[in-house]
Amino acid sequence: MVCALGIEGSANKIGVGIINNGKVLANVRRTYITPPGEGFLPKETAKHHREAILGLVQASLKEAQLKPADLDVICYTKGPGMAPPLLVGAIVARTLSLLWQKPLLGVNHCIGHIEMGRLITGAQNPIVLYVSGGNTQVIAYSNKRYRIFGETIDIAVGNCLDRFARIIKLSNDPSPGYNIEQLAKQGKQYIKLPYVVKGMDVSFSGILSHIEELADPSKRRNKRKKQQDEPEPEYSQADLCYSLQETIFAMLVEITERAMAHCESNEVLIVGGVGCNERLQQMMGIMCEERNGKVFAIDERYCIDNGLMIAHAGAEMFKAGAQMPLEDAFVTQRYRTDEVLVNWRKD
Amino acid sequence: MMPLKANVSKPNESTIRVPFDTPEHAKIAYRVLSVDQEPRRNFVQKTLSLEDDVLVVHFSADQVKNLRTAITSFFECLLLCQDTIKLFGEQPEAKPNNNAGTHSSADST
Repeated sequence: MVCALGIEGSANKIGVGIINNGKVLANVRRTYITPPGEGFLPKETAKHHREAILGLVQASLKEAQLKPADLDVICYTKGPGMAPPLLVGAIVARTLSLLWQKPLLGVNHCIGHIEMGRLITGAQNPIVLYVSGGNTQVIAYSNKRYRIFGETIDIAVGNCLDRFARIIKLSNDPSPGYNIEQLAKQGKQYIKLPYVVKGMDVSFSGILSHIEELADPSKRRNKRKKQQDEPEPEYSQADLCYSLQETIFAMLVEITERAMAHCESNEVLIVGGVGCNERLQQMMGIMCEERNGKVFAIDERYCIDNGLMIAHAGAEMFKAGAQMPLEDAFVTQRYRTDEVLVNWRKD
Repeated sequence: MMPLKANVSKPNESTIRVPFDTPEHAKIAYRVLSVDQEPRRNFVQKTLSLEDDVLVVHFSADQVKNLRTAITSFFECLLLCQDTIKLFGEQPEAKPNNNAGTHSSADST
């Protein structure tokens, strides 16, 4: 029996979760939402987190009906992510660990997503597509590591979507990706966009520049190409959203399928904030059906960054005997998925 | 005009003394705040020490600007640590939430 409290704050979400032996006891979260057209910046995000985190810890204990003494381990996100928001979680986790005299564990954010997805869906050994605002990775487990088969070579898929939402001034509430998904449902015309798959890797920054020019021709950087007699066709926002989603999700499905073929796996697990996009789940489903495979997806409570996933991954590490001296409880902006020895999996 | 390098031998310094309710709480803050290293490009030396129930932090930097940045970010961490101790230190669930700016509501459960 391991009862763990997890604190997550690597991006614009701050969350606290409590899990007891695989049973969800509490999972509370607050999101820092910026005005349309603006992204979240490290300093302001950290300020938001500082103001919310203690209330969230209280709320999670209340919801779980637990006293601090009932906990076995305190977990926090060590990285990857933006340093100032990460530090907020780390400071509170360290302080609580000393106050309550509980061991402390730093968890890799990506591992948190993967383990949470496996717990909720029951998928045994899936190919993992981890897609969020900061990460885009196709991951397969082999020999005690989550190995990265393919990833983005520039910006993350969620970053591409978020920034496009900013360009066309969509609301960031509840999330830019959700609003793109809703608007895309009204799209009728498919606009051809660059399709950038390089081996097992993908690239989104060129697609973003391209669609930025389509959305707002006045921003066109390459003025030489301007032809007076040929008027630029006007595209609706809905068509642009629809075309962007179709293109970038097709790229993700392609590299995921190749990873499945390579690993002879017939299970796919989608995790990360973009993973709750139903169109992505649907497209992955079609691909899996053709291969007689199965796609596992989770809803926004567990897909989008949350404290629970940190608590769960931390609990698994704790059961496997992991320990972390307080001096090592720092945060790190870069922390790759394959750096972590997955000694809690038996296969 | 003095050359820019003139100040290198005489760094700008600042010492902050933060009293806590008990030596135990001071020690917790000392251990929590000692973990994070100053960013390498910051050119600020930070040393923490304990004097019974007082946390002593000493900063020294070549430029006042860097000193200010280092102190500002240190205070952000210190205040968060103090608030955590205040709220969860003695009787964790008996104390009401009197911490300005914190909210116990959540956008999802």
